[in-house]
Order: sequence, then C-alpha cells, then structure tokens
Amino acid sequence: MASQMQDLDVLPRVTCPNHPDSILVEDYRAGDMICPECGLVVGDRVIDVGSEWRTFSNDKATKDPSRVGDTQNPLLSDGDLTTMIGKGTGAASFDEFGNSKYQNRRTMSSSDRAMMNAFREITNMADRINLPRNIVDRTNNLFKQVYEQKSLKGRSNDAIASACLYIACRQEGVPRTFKEICAVSRISKKEIGRCFKLILKALETSVDLITTGDFMSRFCSNLGLPKQVQMAATHIARKAVELDLVPGRSPISVAAAAIYMASQASAEKRTQKEIGDIAGVADVTIRQSYRLIYPRAPDLFPADFKFDTPVDKLPQL
Amino acid sequence: MDAESDVALDILITNVVCVFRTRCHLNLRKIALEGANVIYKRDVGKVLMKLRKPRITATIWSSGKVICTGATSEEEAKFGARRLARSLQKLGFQVIFTDFKVVNVLAVCNMPFEIRLPEFTKNNRPHASYEPELHPAVCYRIKPLRATLQIFSTGSITVTGPNVKAVASAVEQIYPFVFESRKEIL
Repeated sequence: MASQMQDLDVLPRVTCPNHPDSILVEDYRAGDMICPECGLVVGDRVIDVGSEWRTFSNDKATKDPSRVGDTQNPLLSDGDLTTMIGKGTGAASFDEFGNSKYQNRRTMSSSDRAMMNAFREITNMADRINLPRNIVDRTNNLFKQVYEQKSLKGRSNDAIASACLYIACRQEGVPRTFKEICAVSRISKKEIGRCFKLILKALETSVDLITTGDFMSRFCSNLGLPKQVQMAATHIARKAVELDLVPGRSPISVAAAAIYMASQASAEKRTQKEIGDIAGVADVTIRQSYRLIYPRAPDLFPADFKFDTPVDKLPQL
Repeated sequence: MDAESDVALDILITNVVCVFRTRCHLNLRKIALEGANVIYKRDVGKVLMKLRKPRITATIWSSGKVICTGATSEEEAKFGARRLARSLQKLGFQVIFTDFKVVNVLAVCNMPFEIRLPEFTKNNRPHASYEPELHPAVCYRIKPLRATLQIFSTGSITVTGPNVKAVASAVEQIYPFVFESRKEIL
C-alpha cells in the first residue's frame, strides 16, 4: 500500500503504483485520492474543501456561511480575487470622532468599475421587460467584447448597453423593437440605433432581418387576443409580405395592420389606437399599411378562420 | 444577362461639396458687416455666404478655410468657389485660391423597376445593411470606391462618393445586384 509522491508540479501529483496512467478520482469529503481502476486509496489527508458546517436554511437571502467568496463571475469581470476591508464590529474599529477607522473599503476592481455598473444597468433594463437570464448573459458578453475593444469608447455606456441588449434579443431569436428598448432605457432611439450600427461594425457580426412573426405573440398577448386571432394575424402578415403588398413598410407596421385586420374580423375587436399603443406605431401608420393590405383581404386570411365579421364588412379606412 | 447595355440610366448629381483655402486670415466680422448675402454665426465662429449665380452656400472660417456646398457639377463648384474668392478679395483680403478639392458628391438615380429589399440584403450580406425600424433604405457600402449607396424599395438609389467618377462606377457596380432582386411588373 505504498504511495509514491512524485513532483508536485506534475499533475496528477500521485499515481497509483499499479496503474500509473489512470487519473485519480478525488473524494474531497473524505480527503482521499482514489484510483478508479483498482480502488486503491493513493493519497490521504488531502485538504477538505467542503463546507465546515451544515446549513439547513432554504432562503438564499441570508448569507451562506459555507461560502468564502461571493458568487461573482470571473468570466466577465477581471477575476474576483480581491480583498476588501469590512465594516468593523466592536469598539476598537472606531477612532476618536466616531468615524470608523479603515474607511477605505472601496476601490475594488477599479479598472472594471464601469463594466460592473453597466452590468447592473443591463440587469435592471432586462428586468423591466422580463427578459430571461440567457439574454442577459449574452448581453453581458457582448458588452464585455465591445468594452475591451475600446473602439466605441467615447459613447455613453448606457447607450452601448442598450444597443447590446437589442442585439442579444435579436441573436436569441426573440427581437425587441427599438421602441421597446427605448422604453426601459434613458437613451434616445436615435442614439441606440447609432450604437447598434457601430457595434455591428466593431464586432464584425451581422444580425438576421426581423420578420412580422417575431412580434405576433407578444403584441397579441398584450392586447388579450385569443390564439385564433393571433394565428390569423400571423398568417395575414406573412402572406402580405410574400405577396409584397407592403414594400418599404417596416415589419412592425405590417404586423400591427395584420393584427388590426384579424381582430376586426373576429369577435375581439381592437381599435387602431390600442394596437398602435402596444406596438409603438402611430395609428396613421397602421392606417396606411391597412389600406395596402385591404384590397387582398380575402386571400390573406387563413382557410379555416371563423369570421365574426365577414370579409366584405371589414372597416375601410 | 447583359442588363447594362439595354438601359441608359440617368444619374442626376444633386450636390457637390468642395473645400478650398484662401491662405490668409479672414476677419469674419468685417465680412459679416460689409459682405452681401451673408449670415454670421458668431456662436460657432463661421460666416455663411450664399451666391445666386451658381446656387452655392459657402461656410467661411476665420482661418481661411472655406467649404462650398450646393453645386450641381464639379465645374460649377469650381466656378462658384472662384467667384466666392473674388468677392472676398473685393472686400479687401489678400486671397489666394489654393487647395481646391471636391470632397463629396451626392447623386440620385432611378431604376425602372422596384426592388425587393429583404432578398437584396440576404444576397449581399457583408456590404448591405438594412434596418427597417431605423431607415427604409438598404445602406450598401463599396469600400474600395469609398462610396455609399442607399437603395429604396421604389427603385430610386442615392449615391454619395468622393467624386463624380466614383459615383458613376458605383452605380454600374450595383446594377447587376439590384437587377437580381428586382420586382417583375406583372
């Protein structure tokens, strides 16, 4: 049962005498290194990295005593191996005037302070429109890439963050309109658009074109329209784009007009103003696009659609 | 598909921007007071002088640099710039007309067919960029010519480039691509 300690630099540090090639399995609870081939315990009294006491609390809000460091992401920040001086308990930590000694607990990762600020801002923005974690992670990654490149250094970080959020939503296949991003950001649509183009150039990527179908489920749910109407509107919009009835119109406007047509033909009617409010398009824009698709209305509806208002009775604006 | 030789496309030059130097310091206040057809923008530090004959607007800085916009051809730009220098000379400055350079040319061209923009963007991925939410046209950049074309779905194309020749060759280059993604008239 002899174990041979070889060079500490070479991994694995110890090898099983019978199987020198096999990689040892570490059992960190018991502090052993075990050979998987024969089960020999090769190294023992290896330092235990498990938790020191058992924790039973379910809520994560209270500090987890078994964790030594914070769960920061070393992938994004500079690696989180800094030490901060804590607030201080007891009487000895206060000097004469009542101020605490060692006040200086700031200046951690000063080089990436702006980046951490931006991450916080991104999380806040994403929270407001309930974006899932994967989009936020993608946004953080994009922001980090842009920030490290420094080609957009003069631009406001918030603008870059908003543009990264827009790109991340696009890349994940669930695009948000610029106006939706504007609603949760303090930056103007113009500036976000500018940063968006600059970032695409800087990262040398491109994004897919937006289609009408990307927004249907969101807009229809916000308007409270049933699934039938949503499917009809999706069909109408897709058909309209295929037949190229609406050249040069933004897909959002076409989608809004399709929703209007579908809702007016069903029992759940919505006014142009309501749809315009949800989609972020002016109601005159909906009117324009609607005028373009109205002549071909019978062809655009899906075959199995139940009309509450027949096609010829659809409002003509 | 020899599309170019059948059709003669009219490229209309709408704007030519040029710069020149007068090689002497100009007193903007004097120009503003004594010159005809001038607007003095004191906050920015420049004087706008509008000429009637070649319809030209010139931005004059006190360093002696002048930017001339609004001409419809390169020769007209040169005439206008010279005329401007002459009028500054009449005001009493020792003007020497140097470093004349045409900086930007804007031209408009109309295709006889409409264009399908999404298809066009897909076929010309790195050069073309289309954001319908931001601008209704596809922005196509030709790097070696330093020219930018804005292609609209109606078939009209706006070209900006460093000189007239670049603009003409840009239109020639883009024609086959645009022809591919045209909308056939039924």
